[in-house]
Amino acid sequence: MALTLMKGSEAIAEAAIRAGARYFFGYPITPQTEIPEYMSARMPEVGGCFLQAESEVAAINMIYGAAGTGARAITSSSSPGISLKQEGISYCAGAQLPCVILNVMRGGPGLGNIQASQGDYMQGVKGGGNGDYHLLTYAPASVQEAIDIMMFAFDKAEQYRVPVLFLADGIIAQMMEPVEMPEMVDFKIDPEKKPWACTGWKPGDDPAKRGVINSIYIDTESLTEHNEVLQTVYKEIVANEQKWEYYNTEGAEFIITAFGTVARIAKSAIDELKKEGVKVGLVRPISVWPFPYDAVREAVMADSVKAVLDVELNEGQMLQDVKLAINGAKPIDFFGHYGSQMPTVDEVKAKIISMKEGK
Amino acid sequence: MKKIYILIGNYGSGKSELALNFAFQAAETGRTELIDLDMVNTYFRLTERGKMVRQKEIRLVSPNFACSGIETLSLPAEVASAFALDWDTVVFDVGGDAVGSTALGRYHSDFAALEPGQLEVLNVVNIRRPLSGTVEKIIRLQEEMQVHSRLQITGMINNTNLATMTGPDDLRDGYEILKEVSDRTGIPVAYTTGRQELLDQFLSEGHDPKYIGKPMAIDIYMKRDWESYIHSLS
Repeated sequence: MALTLMKGSEAIAEAAIRAGARYFFGYPITPQTEIPEYMSARMPEVGGCFLQAESEVAAINMIYGAAGTGARAITSSSSPGISLKQEGISYCAGAQLPCVILNVMRGGPGLGNIQASQGDYMQGVKGGGNGDYHLLTYAPASVQEAIDIMMFAFDKAEQYRVPVLFLADGIIAQMMEPVEMPEMVDFKIDPEKKPWACTGWKPGDDPAKRGVINSIYIDTESLTEHNEVLQTVYKEIVANEQKWEYYNTEGAEFIITAFGTVARIAKSAIDELKKEGVKVGLVRPISVWPFPYDAVREAVMADSVKAVLDVELNEGQMLQDVKLAINGAKPIDFFGHYGSQMPTVDEVKAKIISMKEGK
Repeated sequence: MKKIYILIGNYGSGKSELALNFAFQAAETGRTELIDLDMVNTYFRLTERGKMVRQKEIRLVSPNFACSGIETLSLPAEVASAFALDWDTVVFDVGGDAVGSTALGRYHSDFAALEPGQLEVLNVVNIRRPLSGTVEKIIRLQEEMQVHSRLQITGMINNTNLATMTGPDDLRDGYEILKEVSDRTGIPVAYTTGRQELLDQFLSEGHDPKYIGKPMAIDIYMKRDWESYIHSLS
């Protein structure tokens, strides 16, 4: 296995190119500016287009245009920039445009700071923009996992005609880890597979083959029909695309729920607690929409489990989904910091010990 | 005689780590100044280890506002102390790639005024980094950095590693690639660097000393916070 040492931002950008992305539109913002920086050097090498847009709003609308041709297009930003993109994201969802959006989350609200955060969970999975839509949303916990998800993200986006969102905390983009980079995918726009795409209809061509990219449906019935199509797709995604990881759940006395980098902190705490004789397991949602409710519930409902601890780098946003999954069947507690200050292994351990002692 | 070491190289090749090691070793025997000349990034810079540097009685020069959260770096006038004051050793840690080495150009006349043998311009190479993975990429980057820095690279450092997952293959593969770079460019391999046990193993394998240069065991000071709290890859 040929390993290279890559920074998360570089690795995510390279993986996107290898997955067939040939259009990158974005605007710099810490802690993900290395993504556009890398793209600016790499896109010309593969015959792609890197464009630094005049704003995040412009960038997401360029994605709308590029994705409308059936090309693989990607944009990246960090929390405040993703907030600016929300209108365009809703439009992409409404127009059923496959594309990939990267959110490298930083501390908020507002400008917050440039340190890592998980404070955009709600924005990512519960809406963000207007209307009844969802984004297929993944939360990688390592640089390698971010690469691996990227390698199928465009396939999933195209299969369901939905935007895919990466919710990565700042650590994932900034840290360097040894990774294995997959081979380049040979992607070409296939008008047969994407009959909806605008691939160059000319007067005189079959009118039925004219692509129209649109999210406006003026009359009542057609908007309802359109929304029913979207909801049918979302139901399929919920049925087929839940991803999660179990760690040491067998015989666990406590279950920790966490995503992204925080889940790796939790794993370190779980290993140390195991040495001290405390059995703790982890359920780590990898897809956060669709949220793996059944997987969480199944782990928690085991007889050995006394209680659940949700750990996040926010005030407890995924906590709401964990509560829905458990539906009051077992006690649940929360530990976290607001964005920018990472929870430590010792803090997670101390919280579990205090739960065990019934405090 | 004052000796000046300039560490340039691909982003993430280990320049700051080596700059600390060069400076700490020099400080054992002489008056040492360490200059953080990374004008590219506001974070992941050796000034983050400033307390440790000053404890070893090394004079540290950092860009204005480094590590303050302000994202506007500027060169401090204090860099002139490298040339004006009487040091035994000065180590420059420079930003990554050609863009990083541009900051050196401003000191062209100061470097040009040095006596022969006073200056070592060292290209730190980690072939596990994607933009330094092949002979061609290393040569191209080396040429760009020379143009931007207005300096001739006098030697390369084989610092091939995979961070916490570094193994015995890494220095060996770096050796093979830098051997070819050296033969093609005439630039010697000046140092081979790594943690003591990995370096010892590499040296015991009987490679041509011409392409090893001076072996230098290093300690790791630039550990990232997350290495202490995240679960390692398995």
